[in-house]
Amino acid sequence: MTCSSSISAAPESLHPSLWLASQLARGDTRCIDTGHLALSAHLPGGGWPTGTLVDLLLPQPGIGEMRLLRPALAAVATRRVVLLQPPHPPQALALATLGVQPSQLIWLRAGSTADALWAAEQVLRSGSCGALLFWQNHVRGEHLRRLHLAAQAGETLFFMMRPLAAAQDASPAPLRLALRPQSGGIEISFVKRRGPQRDATLFLPLTSYLPNRHAPVDRTTPAPVAARGVHTQLVH
Amino acid sequence: MFTPSWSTDAGSVVLEQERVLVASQLALDAGVRAGMRRGGVVMLLPDARLHARAPALEAEALQAVALALLQYTPQVTEGAEATLLMDVGASLRLFGGIRALCRRVHADVRTLGFTASLACAPTARGAWLLARANAGRAVRMESLLRRLDRLAVLLVPPARPFADWFDGIGCHTLGDLRRLPRPGLQRRCGRALLDLLDAAYGLTSELHTWISPPETFRARLELYDRIDDAELLLAGARCLLVQLTGWLCARQLAVERITLRLEHERGRVARAPTGIEIVLAEPAWRDEHLVRLLRERLARLALDAPVIGLALEALQVRPMAPPNASLFPEPGGSEEDRMRMLELLAARLGPENVLQPLPLADYRPEQANVWVPVQQTVSDKARAAQLPPDVLSLPRPTWLLARPIALLMRDRRPFYGSPLQVTSNPERIEAGWWDGLGTRDYFIAEGQDHTLYWVYRERIGVDEREPRWYLHGLFG
Repeated sequence: MTCSSSISAAPESLHPSLWLASQLARGDTRCIDTGHLALSAHLPGGGWPTGTLVDLLLPQPGIGEMRLLRPALAAVATRRVVLLQPPHPPQALALATLGVQPSQLIWLRAGSTADALWAAEQVLRSGSCGALLFWQNHVRGEHLRRLHLAAQAGETLFFMMRPLAAAQDASPAPLRLALRPQSGGIEISFVKRRGPQRDATLFLPLTSYLPNRHAPVDRTTPAPVAARGVHTQLVH
Repeated sequence: MFTPSWSTDAGSVVLEQERVLVASQLALDAGVRAGMRRGGVVMLLPDARLHARAPALEAEALQAVALALLQYTPQVTEGAEATLLMDVGASLRLFGGIRALCRRVHADVRTLGFTASLACAPTARGAWLLARANAGRAVRMESLLRRLDRLAVLLVPPARPFADWFDGIGCHTLGDLRRLPRPGLQRRCGRALLDLLDAAYGLTSELHTWISPPETFRARLELYDRIDDAELLLAGARCLLVQLTGWLCARQLAVERITLRLEHERGRVARAPTGIEIVLAEPAWRDEHLVRLLRERLARLALDAPVIGLALEALQVRPMAPPNASLFPEPGGSEEDRMRMLELLAARLGPENVLQPLPLADYRPEQANVWVPVQQTVSDKARAAQLPPDVLSLPRPTWLLARPIALLMRDRRPFYGSPLQVTSNPERIEAGWWDGLGTRDYFIAEGQDHTLYWVYRERIGVDEREPRWYLHGLFG
């Protein structure tokens, strides 16, 4: 009797991995702050989770994804940042402006998909790198699961950049975000997260490369999801 | 004759003075027994591989095992009748006790392709007797005495000429032998038997001359067959690596550069051996990392002929520097871990595909963006000297296209997926006239989907053409 009432009162007080469907999961993994307050409020754990696979779905490379990751990369750049199969040759000078020193960068090119997947697994298993960014268009589900498992062995920040069409396919990644370019920033839609489904997109202003000629347009960012602790009644 | 335990059994039989000495499992199943004559073997197993016993090869094999076992103790010596004696008294704690040590020795001997019967005892001669009888471990003196008393008399070499006499007086075990009066035994059988017994029972001390490892390492392995499979080659190479580990431990060295030569059969034309050279950024003296590197290199290797022999050589060594372990290990692993990971990646992907940036102080973006293999050591200072003092002042795209793409023009505006709108002031880059690079005006342009592109316009058109627009980078 008392047991059932306590469950309906606060399931999250029973075990850290329990949460209500309307709440964001409390991160049991370590998270790196995204550096964007509006985005952190919508992510379980309040940041990019380390040691898990994070899917970023892009319509094409070069839409501001690196600027989105800039604060997180700068935070982990005490260790190496590995770029595996980027779509175009990365430019060290530009990455230095993003806060990653050239001495911390590694660029891996792989001849085949199998080699690329193997390299990703080796980097994740060694656990000696701060972040791994992996561009791959076609990955099979079992390979994703394997990479996710390898990521769990360490505390590497692991982003997988995949085309937008991959949003239709299932993925073991606990966090999947679709990114679209917007004027002066980036638009994020949450394909999957440990928390309530969110259909509205989130606009995030990014630091621009352009000189400031216009005042930024004010956009209202939607209110964050009800924080943990606000009890919602289940309707029977 | 060397047929390692990981090879396929083709029915091998070893003869000594035209009598069967040992036979492989396949031959034993066919009915071949020790002591048979050659004719009998051929009748039972017509396609048996007959080999004469080769004492030189046996001595070489024993040397190889001794070299491999030097990693557990510097005190290894050869005993009589193909045995090795090791003094492990000082190594027990390092390797986690006698059981763990025995397991590791067994595993190493198996890697080398042999099977060993292992025994330990407080006295060297006692251990020798237990090993010959395959009678297991005796750690305490009392249990050693108990076990020795039960062993057969004929295990002791000096007693063998008197086998009939011992049999006649009903003396079968060493316990019986010890109950015989010493003076009479010495008169009949000589001093050697009593000395051996005293040494085994710990009544006198023994002196050994320990094996000293050679100055340089060079090991060779003749393969039992023509091999072109990378996995089997790796098993062969592991034999050599285990020996290398023993040699490195004994000489307190770490290896920086090794080369593995794959020798081919000499047919009509002599074929030079294929060499695999492995250069390590961090000197190593354990073989796990070397095995992983070799596996990737062998998997990538395309052999143009089967391999019949392997040779391993340590080309460059330096004194071993044991790592400074910290009490609370860093979460990201040590610098050596990082180096090992990069070496492994370079072994499979190729060194030209594992790159680090080495920016060059040049105005031209293609020339400034230089990436070099990770193995090349670049000091942070040299790198920082090449960076502009204020990196934020230059708008540079994250992705620089390998070749600029010429853009279409629609309504006098550059077009890439959608019409591009120039949103920044031009940045003129005019350098490298000696390389034929013209003057370029770089702009940041925005497409209709708000993607930012780095485009440039030639200031002066080539061949009297209109100046054209090119796409050169994407802002990440």
